Amino acid sequence: MSGWRAMQLEEIPARNNGWIPVRDHLGITAFGVNAWTKRETDGAVIAQHDEKGTAHEELYYVFRGHATFTVDGDEVDAPEGTIVFVRDPNVSRGATPIDDDTIILTAGGKPGETFTVSDWERNWEWNRRAFPLYRDKKYAEAAAVLREAVAAGADNAGIHYNLACFLSLAGDTDDALAELRTAIEGDESFRELARHDSDFDPIRNDPGFPT
Amino acid sequence: MTQQPYDVVSIDELDRIPVMHGLEWRPIRRRFDVRAHGVNAYTAENPGDWVVEEHTEGNLRHQELYVVVRGHARFTLDDEDVDAPAGTFVFIEDPDVKRKAISEEPGTTVLALGASPDEPYKPSAWEWWFEAYARSPEEGAAILRDGLSEHPDHPALLYHLACMEGKLGNIGEARGHLDRAIELDPRWRERAESDEDLTAVLA
Repeated sequence: MSGWRAMQLEEIPARNNGWIPVRDHLGITAFGVNAWTKRETDGAVIAQHDEKGTAHEELYYVFRGHATFTVDGDEVDAPEGTIVFVRDPNVSRGATPIDDDTIILTAGGKPGETFTVSDWERNWEWNRRAFPLYRDKKYAEAAAVLREAVAAGADNAGIHYNLACFLSLAGDTDDALAELRTAIEGDESFRELARHDSDFDPIRNDPGFPT
Repeated sequence: MTQQPYDVVSIDELDRIPVMHGLEWRPIRRRFDVRAHGVNAYTAENPGDWVVEEHTEGNLRHQELYVVVRGHARFTLDDEDVDAPAGTFVFIEDPDVKRKAISEEPGTTVLALGASPDEPYKPSAWEWWFEAYARSPEEGAAILRDGLSEHPDHPALLYHLACMEGKLGNIGEARGHLDRAIELDPRWRERAESDEDLTAVLA
């Protein structure tokens, strides 16, 4: 077999927090596409978010089950077969399941640009290695993994932010502040996130902490 | 025109535009003006109908992902058959693979996504002529002129515009567009000679 792949969605191994990595598993490089089930962390199918950082258009298709979308403050009933297209990247969107087995397909990309894999997807392998260490409170070891990620080319705001968290908890104040500043330079939304992130409690009162 | 920040539709509410061999095009990209990638649905009402037309992506060089969302289909990819009940994902990376799908259950519907990995997405010209033939000749001609504003000098759009103008009796304009289509791609000449829409234009 060459040039094509066919499979059932259930054959694609799920990753963390409801993510079924359709694009990565099939080797698609021309557009973003994934499937999502109920997340363990907050019970949502699609976490409430915007696409300011990527400027992506996003199209959602309720592949199975029944969900309620919240888009731009509006509630949208979305039984199986519903298509929700969010063209404005500034609009907040998310979905909660009505049926527990709800699956939503997402497709996206930035108009006018060749598709590139989003940072959150590229970061997954590195975070998968680092977060068990973080949960075991091995903060310096978790930071070492993400330093390796940066050295390997995963030099993006999400990695720098998590690295800042680990360094803060490891007691490496100067490097934590430097990494946090780098994260915010890459994505201003991390400034607000850092204000409420308890990982930064050890360095929050430092005069160099971004406000 | 101001666009809303988001739109919602059920797949059952999409337009149904007949194409060939029972295949119905259900436009999504065009309805929402999606600009990042191609996205459409296709439905075959009867078993045995086409639910993906036979084609390659040799010209556009698109990767394509087909998702069977309703019913049951059977894909043929080059010479291989693939059983594809609802829930099947078929990703065709190689644009030169010849692809086709037949419906095996009433109402089989396939969602299709596509784009080139090497360049920014641009809506495909075929969308304009698929829609043009579903409308009146006046509306069809307007749709094709709109297509030419996005794809200037596209031979197929020029050819189909000539057909619409032929149906409307605008022989001079039709002749001009047909001549330009043939000048850009001489393969249109042979098709024109047996095309009833152009009988008066070629008389």
